[in-house]
Amino acid sequence: MSETTLASPAVLAPLRLLGRSTLSALRRVGSVAHFAARGVAAAATPPWFAGQLRRQLAAVGYFSLPVVGLTAVFTGAALALNIYTGGGRFNAEQVMPQIVALGITRELAPVLAALMLAGRVSAAIAAELGAMRATEQIDAMQTLSTDPFRYLVAPRLVAGVVMLPLLTVVADLIGVAGGWLVATRVLHFNPTVYIRNTMSFLQGWDVGSGLVKAAVFGFIVTLMGCFHGYNAKGGARGVGQATTHAVVSASVLVFAADYLLTSFFAHT
Amino acid sequence: MREQWAEAATGLVVILVAAVFLVYSLTVGGVGRKAGSYDVTARFGQVGALAPGAAVSVAGVKVGTVSEIRLDPKTFLAVTKLSLDPSVKLPADSTAKITSDSLLGGAHIAIAPGGAMEDLKPGSEIENTQGSVDLFGLIGQFLRPQSGQGAAGNAAAADAATSAPAPASQAAAAGNAAALPDF
Amino acid sequence: MSTVPKLAWKGVHKRFEGAPVLDGLDLAVEAGRSLVIIGGSGQGKSVTLKVALGLMAPDAGEIALDGQDLVGLRGAARSKLFSRFGMLFQGAALFDSLSVWENVAFRLINADGVKRPAARQRAIEALERVRLGGEVADLYPGELSGGMQKRVGLARAVVATPEIIFFDEPTTGLDPITAAAINDLIVEQVRRLGCTAVSITHDLASARTIGDEIAMLNKGRIIWRGTPAELDRTDDPRVRQFVDGRPDGPLTDRR
Repeated sequence: MSETTLASPAVLAPLRLLGRSTLSALRRVGSVAHFAARGVAAAATPPWFAGQLRRQLAAVGYFSLPVVGLTAVFTGAALALNIYTGGGRFNAEQVMPQIVALGITRELAPVLAALMLAGRVSAAIAAELGAMRATEQIDAMQTLSTDPFRYLVAPRLVAGVVMLPLLTVVADLIGVAGGWLVATRVLHFNPTVYIRNTMSFLQGWDVGSGLVKAAVFGFIVTLMGCFHGYNAKGGARGVGQATTHAVVSASVLVFAADYLLTSFFAHT
Repeated sequence: MREQWAEAATGLVVILVAAVFLVYSLTVGGVGRKAGSYDVTARFGQVGALAPGAAVSVAGVKVGTVSEIRLDPKTFLAVTKLSLDPSVKLPADSTAKITSDSLLGGAHIAIAPGGAMEDLKPGSEIENTQGSVDLFGLIGQFLRPQSGQGAAGNAAAADAATSAPAPASQAAAAGNAAALPDF
Repeated sequence: MSTVPKLAWKGVHKRFEGAPVLDGLDLAVEAGRSLVIIGGSGQGKSVTLKVALGLMAPDAGEIALDGQDLVGLRGAARSKLFSRFGMLFQGAALFDSLSVWENVAFRLINADGVKRPAARQRAIEALERVRLGGEVADLYPGELSGGMQKRVGLARAVVATPEIIFFDEPTTGLDPITAAAINDLIVEQVRRLGCTAVSITHDLASARTIGDEIAMLNKGRIIWRGTPAELDRTDDPRVRQFVDGRPDGPLTDRR
């Protein structure tokens, strides 16, 4: 039996590889989606574990305030300087407050806060759940008639969705404050005029769209931490890999979601 | 555990900073009034980009702030309240003009002192005013002359502003508004 | 045998990444009896337990509890099932962020709705039964030795009086004295509760102490079954190699 050249191994092997990688990528997407669905279902229906939720709200939200605050103030200050420089090329320095406020509320505060949380919260969740998986604590929990999705995953997902918008509000305020500080101390803007111009220019939906983005990002960040930690394989090395994968996938998905949401909101 | 307390304390500091800034921003409308400052009013046909908190200056020196801007429902003129430094007395026939630092912003009120013997009393009104001039409206007028639309004196900017793009129509006219009526 | 066995594996198959781990496993244990499964490392002992518990689903076959098939149960039914089982994991698998008594009372507080003060009381009683004093109740698992962690794990497994207890390598990693103490505790608790016990181990001394019956698992199937006394007398060359601890023999011959 003669084989046609089309069916020869040299041709088939790369195709097979392509097929396998595509299938495995699809499988990965599917398993994340399935995990997310289970998590959402666990969060949406009783029984809930209020103690765990409280602990996660504090861990995800309150303890992220320092890093979010620092990020916001430096970003706001740097942005103000840059927009001022750019505006100066059009003799339009005076609109700097408005542009800075728009950039912060619509884009920078939610995205940068989410990235800070991707590094901090997503990694911590992946490490914690990964270590629990490696030491059979998650199996043990199931044998104790407690659904790990309800006890571990759902509180973290809810904490992400609730807390990141709140953190973004803080980031908005501190970011604008950073811009204001630079504007008034270095660029000699009138302090009250700066604030007034900012307040009258900003629309509710500028801040609102940023908060919607933040809620989505919060879900993404905690989901990636939970997914990679829960499914960590192997011992210490597996936990380490889970942590890295969580941070990277959370960051990439935040950027992707940001683009999608921004283009969706761009004309609103 | 000590780490936790340090983090908790820093978190609290961050919230406080944000809250303080928020409160400050919200109350800025009640613009810093210097103790003892006195109010005068001025009415304009068009205030343009002027906002409460803007400076009031004489010969380029800040002597007060715009504390309030509201619309008179009967005459449809913008009524502004100027909060002036008590040590500055202005002649009763001074002129208040809305001018700006650049094409796109920085609107403030410049007062040109008159020559009268009496001073403006607290609560009185500056009679001579010139509102902000809409540069693009004027250009449009020049390009398509329409009858009965002068740009002299107190008159508001031309409603040919409808042809101008939205952000630009908010722009106060650049520099010396007195030259423009010659168009 | 006219009585239905308490727990039975019937024709259970399980593959991991193409390689068969359980290859037609048939095993049953009567109520109130203690079965010990022995075998070399990687022969499928842990998987046997996890499949029985429901932590893993078999690719084929049946797991019968009191005659009823468990495979495919979900949700509330599966949850009810777990309340009839107790398990002591190999590393005790205690929850690091909870104190010892909160670990022991975990099921009571989170699944059974028992209030914390009552749960704490029951936890302390359970700890006493495994010869741990009340002073460990407020410590954290990280502060305990391996042996103490196993005792806490045992207390956690028995606090809600299960019908079947599973033990995954209960004495692995312990010194002989502690191992003997754990063996005694296991025997005592199983007798006190009158429950069925299924253990896996490669510690033969432990197997002989805690088991009424011993079964040997090799290449995913049960190849021998009998009492501890029969274990020492058997002629089966594979069992002999394992019991005598010889590196060469039928178990390790590549075919």
